[in-house]
Formats: sequence, C-alpha cells, structure tokens
Amino acid sequence: MAIVACSTPPGVSGIAVVRISGEDAIKNVSTFVKDSPLNKTRPVSKVCFLVDKDGEVFDEAIVTSYISPNSYTGENLVEISCHGNPKIISKIIDLSVDAGSRLAEAGEFTKNAFLNGKLDLSEAEAVASVIHSLSLAGVKAGIKNLRGGLSKEIYSIKSSLISVVANLEFNLDISEEDLQPNLLNNSEKTILDTIKKLDACILSFKETKMFQSGASVVILGPPNAGKSTLFNCLVSKDQSIVTDVEGTTRDVIEKSININGLPILLKDTAGIRESGDDVEKIGVERSFIEAKDADLTIILNDRNLSFEGVKHIHVFNKSDIKSPDEKYDISISAKTGKNVKELKEVVYNSLISDKTNTDTLLTSKRQYNAIKSALKHIKDAYSLLIAEDSMELLVEDINRSIGFLDSITKKTTKDDVLDAVFSSFCVGK
Amino acid sequence: MKRTHNKYDLVVVGGGHAGIEAALIAHKRGIKTLLVSMDKKSVGRTSCNPAVGGLAKGQMVKEVDVLGGIMGFFADLSTLQSKTLNKSKGRSVWSPRSQIDKNLYEKIAQKYIKEQGLKVLEGEAVSLKVKKDCVRGVFLKDGSEITCSAVVLTCGTFLNGLIHIGSKQINAGRYGEKRAEGITESLNSLGLKNGRLKTGTPPRIKKSSVDWKKGEAGYGDKNPSPLSYRTKNFSPKDEPCYSFRTNSNTHNIILDNLSSSAMYSGKDMATGPRYCPSIEDKVYKFNQNPSHVLQLEPEWSMSEQIYVNGFSTSLEEKIQLESLKTVSGLENVEFIRPGYAIEYDFFYPSQLKNTLESKAVSGLFMAGQINGTSGYEEASSQGIIAGINASCFILNENPLVLKRNDAYVGVLIDDLILKDTNEPYRMFTSRAEYRLQLRSSNADQRLLTKSREYGLLDEQTVEKLSEKIENTINMVRFLEDNNINPKTINKRLEELGEKPIKEPARMSNILKRPKVSISDMKIKNNETKSVLTNYMKEEILFEAETIIKYSGYINRQKEEIDKIKVYENMIIPEKFDYNDIKSLSNESREKFINIKPQTVGQAQRINGIRPSDISILLVYLKRPFHVKQIK
Repeated sequence: MAIVACSTPPGVSGIAVVRISGEDAIKNVSTFVKDSPLNKTRPVSKVCFLVDKDGEVFDEAIVTSYISPNSYTGENLVEISCHGNPKIISKIIDLSVDAGSRLAEAGEFTKNAFLNGKLDLSEAEAVASVIHSLSLAGVKAGIKNLRGGLSKEIYSIKSSLISVVANLEFNLDISEEDLQPNLLNNSEKTILDTIKKLDACILSFKETKMFQSGASVVILGPPNAGKSTLFNCLVSKDQSIVTDVEGTTRDVIEKSININGLPILLKDTAGIRESGDDVEKIGVERSFIEAKDADLTIILNDRNLSFEGVKHIHVFNKSDIKSPDEKYDISISAKTGKNVKELKEVVYNSLISDKTNTDTLLTSKRQYNAIKSALKHIKDAYSLLIAEDSMELLVEDINRSIGFLDSITKKTTKDDVLDAVFSSFCVGK
Repeated sequence: MKRTHNKYDLVVVGGGHAGIEAALIAHKRGIKTLLVSMDKKSVGRTSCNPAVGGLAKGQMVKEVDVLGGIMGFFADLSTLQSKTLNKSKGRSVWSPRSQIDKNLYEKIAQKYIKEQGLKVLEGEAVSLKVKKDCVRGVFLKDGSEITCSAVVLTCGTFLNGLIHIGSKQINAGRYGEKRAEGITESLNSLGLKNGRLKTGTPPRIKKSSVDWKKGEAGYGDKNPSPLSYRTKNFSPKDEPCYSFRTNSNTHNIILDNLSSSAMYSGKDMATGPRYCPSIEDKVYKFNQNPSHVLQLEPEWSMSEQIYVNGFSTSLEEKIQLESLKTVSGLENVEFIRPGYAIEYDFFYPSQLKNTLESKAVSGLFMAGQINGTSGYEEASSQGIIAGINASCFILNENPLVLKRNDAYVGVLIDDLILKDTNEPYRMFTSRAEYRLQLRSSNADQRLLTKSREYGLLDEQTVEKLSEKIENTINMVRFLEDNNINPKTINKRLEELGEKPIKEPARMSNILKRPKVSISDMKIKNNETKSVLTNYMKEEILFEAETIIKYSGYINRQKEEIDKIKVYENMIIPEKFDYNDIKSLSNESREKFINIKPQTVGQAQRINGIRPSDISILLVYLKRPFHVKQIK
C-alpha cells in the first residue's frame, strides 16, 4: 500500500510538496492527474493539471515521479509540488487515499528508505537532524553525516583498531617458534590515539547538540552586579526588570539569542546572597540549579564563584564607574555597551573549543552512546595493556569497542581482521 | 554380468582423516557401514606434515576426541614429540601439538579399523546413484554398484588432482597416487557446483645429506599431556626438530626463477592458501623479511626422510635444490622427492546444511578438503560430524549441530556454509568470537552432554569425564564461597608485587588478579577432600583457576549469546522466495538465494549482508500473507 503525506510544513505557503511512495504510487496519482504522463517504466517531471472526481481542474502542479529503486525511499515515489493552499493539499491527500494510499506515519518515508537499504542508520539519523536542527551549522553537521562524514571518521578509527587487533591476533595465532619480531610496540600508540579521537568525538557531540538545540548560558552574580542590564544588552530588548533594588529578579528569565550562528538560550537569574526572604531564597536556589545544568556560566563581579564541571567566565561589570580589584577574564560595561562585542566572542569561544579539530559531528544520542561505550572498552584495553595482562583479553575489549563503532557504520567481520593479518605478515611455515 | 556388492546403509568414499572418522563413528553407532578406498594401504595416510594438532587445531582434536573421534588417540600412539604451543600467551590459546610417526600412524589406523570390524573395500567410486533427489547407491569404476541410503564423500585432493612441479604437470591425487575421476561430473549432473583450489607441500630430503650441527634443536615438553582422554600412560618419545634459516642468496635464486614456478608463470591456476604460503610467495610478498625459518622434521622415528617445513613450493626441481643449497647446513642436500603444488576440485560448501548434508540431495554428506578446507584436523572435525549426522539420517534421529560457542568444530562448519570460499579454509583461534570459552582444556565440559546424548564415547570414559567436570564445578564453588585470610596470602601478594589485603577476601576475587595462581591459595587437602580426588587433579585445579580468571569476560559473552539466540532459533522456511522481497538489493538477494540460510542467525553472518537487509527479512518473515505463499 502506498503512503501519502505533505512534506512541507502546515499552513499557507507559496509551494507545498505532497509525496506518495509505494508500489502503487504511480497508479494512484494517475487517477487525479489530467492526461497523466506518469508510467511505471521511467521517471517523469512535468507540469500537469490536477483534477477532482468530477474531472474539474483544481490546481496546476509539477508532478515528478521516481521509479524503484532509484528514489529516496527505494520504492516508486511521486512528488507533487502544488500551490501552498491547505485546501489544495488536503484535496490531493484525499484523492490519493481514495485511490488506495494511506496516510504516512511520522518519519515513515525515511524509515522505508532505511528498510530498503537506501540509507544506513547514521544517514537516517542525519536526515532527522537536518530536519530538526535549529541552526545553519547544525544543518551542516547533519548534511555532512548524510554524505557519510561520520561514517568516514568512524571507519578510519575502526581501521586503526583493526590493525591493532591484527597485530595481536597474529601473535596469538602464530606459535612462538614461528614468531616474527614483536609488533606490539605500535599498539599502545594507536590505542592512545584512538582514545584521543573518540574523546574528541564526544566533545563534538556536545557542540553539535548546541548548534542543533542551542547552548544554555546562565548569568550569575551577587545582587546588583548588573546581570539584568547585561542580559538586556545581549538580547537588546528591555526584557528583565532593571531596578536599583537588590533581588529584583526572582525568577529565571530566558531569551534566545544568536552569536556567530550559534543558538543560545540566555538565562538571567536571581542575585546570589544570604537572604531572609523566602521567595528570594527559592530564586537563589533556582539560580544554582540553572548554573549546574548550563553549558556556560557568565559570573559577574564575583571572582570566587564557580561550579564544578561547568564552564565559566569571570566578567567584571560596571567598568564605567570602577576598575576591578582582581583579575577577571574580561571587563565590560553593560550600561554603556563597552566590550560587550568582545564578551560575545569570549562566550562563543568558550562554548566552541578550537581544540576539537575533528570533522566528525555526532548527531544523535544513539551514536553518542555507542561512542561512549566504545571509548570505555578501549580504555579498559589500555589498562590491560599497561598491566601486561593476557593478550586475548585485550583483543576481547578492543573487539567490543569495534563492535560499538559497528553500530554506527558497517559490521566488521572476522575476515576483515584476517585480511589485515595476511596483508601485513608472513603467516605460516 | 554386473557384480553386486552387499547392501549397506552408509558408504564412506575416501579413507583419509575425514573418511576414517565418519566411517568409524557410524560403525560404532551400529550403522552398516562400508569404507571405499582406492588403495587399502593408504588408509589413514598423513599426506603433508608429520604433526597433529597445533594452534586452534589442537583444540579441534580435543573436541573430536570428546565426540568419539579417533585422531587424538592415533596421534598419541605415534607421537615423536609432544608440546603445548603458545604457553607464553593466555590459556585460551594454548594448543597441544604432536609430531608424529607418519608410518606408525597409518599402521595403527589400519589395524584399529580391522579390530573394530569396519569393512573396507578397495575400489574407485565414480558416480552416485540418485533417485528423486535421494541417494540410492554408489557406482564403482569396475561397473559394480553398492546399494546404500547415505553417502559421505571425503575425496581429499583426489578429484581431478593435478600436480605442478615447475612446468611439469602430473595427473595425481597425491605424489605417486592415481587421481579420482568421475565424481565431479556426477555431482555436477546433480546440480552441485564445484571450483578449483590449490595447496602445496615442501620437498622431502635425505637425513644423511644435512649438516645437523648447523641447525637449532627444538624439543617437546617435559611432562606432556595426551591429546585423547582415552589415552592412558602417556610417555612419548622426544625426538627433536631442527630449525635452519634462509638468507638473501636463497631468496635471490627464487626471485630470479619465479617464472618457473607454477604460481607465477601466469598459468590459470587455482587459489592457494594465504596462511601456508609457498616459499616463492613469502619471498616475493614479504621481501622486507631478510630470512625465513625452515623447520626440519622427521617423518617417522629415526627416519631417513625429512620434511622441510616452511619450504612449500612449486618451483622446478632444479631450482628448489639450488636455492635450498644456499642455506647454511643444507649445502649438500639431496632430495627424496621435490616439493609440489596440487590443484583439485572442491564443492562450494554453501551447498551444504549445517549438518554437512547436501541441501539438494538427501542422504549425501561431504567432509574434508572436498568442502574447501585444509588440514588433517579440519578434515577430521567434519568427518566426525558428517558420520554422526549420516547415522542420524539413517536412524531418523535429530542431527547434531554445534554452535559457534560450543566448539571450533561449530565455528568451522558455520563459516564453511556461510562464507565465500576463495582459498582453502584453515582454522585460526581468531575466527572464534568465543575463543575464551573454546579452550583445549575444557572440550569435555563443552561437549560431553552432546556426546552422551548420541552415545559417542565408551562408558568408562564418560564416567571419568563426568567426574572430572563435577569436581571442577565444585572446586569453582569452593573458591567462590570461601575466604582467604590476609595472613595466608599477603606475603605471596607482596612477592608478586600485588596489593596486600586488609580483611579476609573471597578466594575467587584474589584469584582474578592476573599474577595470582590457584596454588597461592594454599588449599589444604582436608579442606577439599569432598571436592578433589586424585584423578586428573592438576587438570581440575587448572580449569577451576581458568574459569574464575575468565569469568568476567565469559559472563559478558554469555549475555551476548543469549541476546542473539532468538535469531538462531528463527527458522527461514526452505522454500522462502527472496524474489518476493523487492526491497532487497540485488547483491544481497543473490547471496540469500545462493546460500539459502537456514535461520535468521545464519543470514546475519553472511558476508556483506547489512543490518537493514535483516530488518527487511524480519519484516517479511512476520508477514502472514507471505508465509501463506510458502508450501
């Protein structure tokens, strides 16, 4: 049974695209295309009139057909680019259903593409991330994975691990009397390299996630440090209530901003101080909770405040009226706007470390978890290597690590390892 | 007048290592069995190196032994030197190997067969009688016919065998032995597809022509253990092997004459094994190695004939001799016979079920080199399984199928039926993902239950092994349930450079530390009286220690095995039509159609099959409308 859905967002728009996919897609669509040029043997793209059951034309649209397996889903697929009037769209969908299609479930086109072997799992996830990404950089990461960028990086990590396993297996499968010079020396280096690369992948996941769903940046500091002034300055709107009375901001106020293409959810918090006021106490507690979950905290005028495990920058505010008595990362005036542009750079650079040079951008939680497990096992392997424990246990851990990387790309087989052994060493008497 | 033979239930064609196992086990199970061999005197012949066992192979010999096979027993009786290889590495890869007396081995084999009352017929099988896709009999070259309901083919390298020595070609199955013709064509007419493979063997030289002082002697272990659980009082000879080394002069002569090698002369030759490369291969492909080891091994006790291990070759005889003479110690070497390569027909093993029965012809079983393998032990492993399953076929019993986590034998057969064969298949420990569980020391634990179920071992051996296994389990429990005091162990821990303990700790936890061994536990005899008897005490302690040391890894593997079990049990109907699944890629569909996996688990292991192919397959297997189409 063919499936049908509108692929463009709901609402009025210039153009909308309705997709029908399945064995009968072409037959179904032909029932409401006037003088249908569609056929099952070759793809067509043509401007056509769409007609209702009474033969009356209700829209003019570009009808494009793809023939299995050469389509996105791998099945016969028709795309109708009609005018973006919801009534037209629903009419097309109604007519398709009348002709025997059913409404597609969310993600079903991509699921079919996956099931039909058109996409591998990491590619399918990349499609999802392209669709749901909040920023252009996030889209770029998705597109990159779609073109196999992630797979490529993982392949290269995998192939260096396979070469380590090959070294070890060679040693295990060749008797001492036939053993060539010990080839283990390089293994340690390769394993350390791999740990570094996987660490970078994990870091990049956090960053990719920021590009896709935004980074959270929390402004903290003692009362009256000018947190709300800075907040307003950064969002360039009078959102927070700015007064001279301490503790004015009692709840957390959020606003989305954008620095160099990076979406940021900026949060203004209650001033941190000992307070008798219960309501304010709750506010301070919330500030702490926000700070602990943040990707970055901007700490105003308190050189000594920081949270473990959370990135932070110490900022001195009100440079227009006094100068800092201690060393701060940057000194600004939120009121006059002095150095605010520079602060934005500091914020951006703190979130996106330039150390991560990896091209790999992990785009899904599943991939992230796989890499994390792979990393764990390769670290286990490293400690076995250092402890000079049994070689076959070492292989076991590296193989498990490879197994987790396999869940992102193609499966590694025993033959891959043996091929590596045979191509590098003279095996056998 | 056409001669007719007696009627048999099972005919085994070929008397090599596969054939002997198949015929003997079926005979033992009460099947009326006939072994057909072209030459009665060649039954049990070891055609290549004078050794049984070795890496991964030693494990297989032990497994075959528990399954009622005979190879380990024969090898124990003809041992010239016994050694456990890989002792410097982890215990799962420790592998026993015996240098054997080849003459004695075949004599023992022939005598044993006679004692057991297994019938042997000298003759050449040329074709099969098949009716309605079922085996009905075997035709011999003399025109006679043997009626039977099952056949095990173990033809080795004999099918259209062709020997190459440089440009010289000889039709032969082994050096000086006639090749077999007719079987290939007979199987082809039944729709079975064959290919061609190649293997090689080194020259045999005269002992008196070697300057032995220039070689380095290698001896066996001081207290060796036998390959077979049935062997009692094992105190073998310890004759040395000697190693010599090639040098750049040797290599230059070989490189200058590559064109004389059957391998490099551009002839359309079959593929040879990568793991047992010819000397020309080694010199050409691994030219970074300045020298290769040659191991000179006696072929029988005090023999004049010496096997030059490491010098497998198909160069002209003259060049073989010339290059060997550059090796220090071999300056005056003389040949008994030159090395050669042999090409032969094999049948793609993907045409077999995991029982080693043909998918196309009921009652036809195949084992050994005819399935594209290499090695005595690989042959013997298939022979025992084919023999057991042929007897099950005749007795209408459930066949014996070993899983990849049961035995190397299981790994071997699973690999054979699911992989593309493009070189002779040899077992490596790295082929077994559950290597840690497949140890030579626990073959009994893994296979005794199955062995009992099919009645493969004599009662006395079964009883002894059961006792050993039970005691091992009790020993493990003892170590897991009892504490050791700091006073008892700390001194030893310090000696080993390990952290001492403050409180009493579980013995098993201490034993898991890499450097600690079970003897450090200082278990008193009276503590374990209930657990340990004298029988195989050392083996039991060793096994218990191993089980505890590996337990973390093995438990993890067991979880994995449980996870995939569901796929192993998901049967794909025999008539399943892959053409119905439009969404499979052509390549995957072709693989499925060619291999016809019996379960989803097998389907997953086919090379090049992607997870998405399996998802699709699962979807279709669950669709009721599709199942209806299957008869």
